[in-house]
Amino acid sequence: MSKIVSQLQSSLIQSDAQGLLAGCTVLIAVKPEQTDLLDHSCFGKRIVTAEKDNEWFQLGLEEAFYLCFSLKCLKIVGDDKCPKDDVELWQCMISRKPNFPDFYKAYSHLRMKNWVVKSGLNYGVDFVAYRHHPSLVHSEYAVLVLSEGEDEGNGRLRLWSDLHCTTRVSGSVVKTLLVLRITKTGNGVASPSCLEKYTVVGRTIRRWHPEQCREDNVIGENRTKQQEALGKASLKTKFTQKHDVKLKPGLVGIERGFSLVSISLVFALICFIVSRWFWSN
Amino acid sequence: MAFEAVPRSVLLHNGGWLNITSGFISKLQFRKDKSRAHWINEIGMAEVVENKGKLWRTMGVVRSGKIYYSIEETLFLMEIGALLLLDDSGTSLSLNDMYAKVSGGSWELFEVYRHLKSLGYIVGQHGIAWSIKDAKSNRPSVSLQCSPQSSEVVDLESEDESSIVGPFNNMHINEARPVFDVYLPNSKFRKSSPGDPSFVICLTRGDLPSIADIEVLERQCGAIPLRFCHVEYGRVSFFSFDEVELPILP
Repeated sequence: MSKIVSQLQSSLIQSDAQGLLAGCTVLIAVKPEQTDLLDHSCFGKRIVTAEKDNEWFQLGLEEAFYLCFSLKCLKIVGDDKCPKDDVELWQCMISRKPNFPDFYKAYSHLRMKNWVVKSGLNYGVDFVAYRHHPSLVHSEYAVLVLSEGEDEGNGRLRLWSDLHCTTRVSGSVVKTLLVLRITKTGNGVASPSCLEKYTVVGRTIRRWHPEQCREDNVIGENRTKQQEALGKASLKTKFTQKHDVKLKPGLVGIERGFSLVSISLVFALICFIVSRWFWSN
Repeated sequence: MAFEAVPRSVLLHNGGWLNITSGFISKLQFRKDKSRAHWINEIGMAEVVENKGKLWRTMGVVRSGKIYYSIEETLFLMEIGALLLLDDSGTSLSLNDMYAKVSGGSWELFEVYRHLKSLGYIVGQHGIAWSIKDAKSNRPSVSLQCSPQSSEVVDLESEDESSIVGPFNNMHINEARPVFDVYLPNSKFRKSSPGDPSFVICLTRGDLPSIADIEVLERQCGAIPLRFCHVEYGRVSFFSFDEVELPILP
């Protein structure tokens, strides 16, 4: 993933890409070859237009800010058509999404480790994290971003029912709930430089089933193995579905051939025995 | 405990009865011999007078050669019909009497205990040694101190830990606290050398633990994994909140 992202980065720098901030998304027009790079690196969502020279993409706020601030390969303009500097853009993002600093910290934390991060809205969480491209694997983690202090008062995962609900949903789609807790050492969110003072601590939250772990010496290992196996299985089916591959058609033919040969051999043997028996009589 | 489906009858609206098998209801095994114990109200524990069967190997703490059962253990044994409990005057105490003694949060504690115990786990009170050999006094309230190996854990906690009921009564609302040390089912378990537990079960009263609470508990319990437990409507569920560092992918 890191390779594709750096290809995208250099390509966008070369073309001096510009994004247009519209509401809570950033629109960007790219050349056809960049379309593939964006697709493969999983940034944004393609917009189908009749325009021939350009492909349009819409990026989420975190995605856009990541390309702009962390990868330095995108300039973002507002209504005034002037590129915004980092601080301006940062303020702009916060005005559109008050918890943007925490979300961005979580997003960039995962992205910098080369995890693919997409919206987790379908699963009732903030993000989902993929180990590879989403066309190859299902996401492994359902990610919730908890701001400091949020777990102690009015935030999410406050009631046991919240926890049951979230782990149930994540579990039923074979994802592990990952809570990223953002802690701030300084105060103020005036500029993106405060991100350096943020720390991220991840915790996976799982249901523990005592009836399933009685003979495990390493608890939880089974479950992870199970999940890995499921992940692999789903990878295979997804792969075959996507590329419409029929598994090893040649081998199946050979197998069938073998069975035909063996049946005829057995038949010949029986004939031979019967004829010998007739002769001997 | 054996599990089998028990057919039950349900009254239909047309006046007839319908036999249904509703889930699995545990059926107790028949016990001929009951252990006998003497309930000591001051310490809230039962002192074993006569021992039968094998359950004592993984239950009760040993002080000066005597076995003492906590209220959870006592209740569990009484529920399965393995214990006859007597009071000071020698009259037998009923399950009703003992249920009345479990007030407030300790009912949930008992449910957790029963849940794990009926699955075969070995469950001990957190921070209370299974056995102390050289106890000077034969009164458990004095001699129920922690074993040297778990003293680190206890140092960080309140002094109430040395009594048996202390840690469970003097708790603050919503505070998570370690309650049980759980060992995997093991026929070779010995109270004199129990080893490190496989998990420490933590219970909160009210809402789920905050991450700050979890961090404090993790420091207290060292490398032993924690399981947080939630009891509602007689349903016991456990959660783990393990810290994880995601790998950097290629």
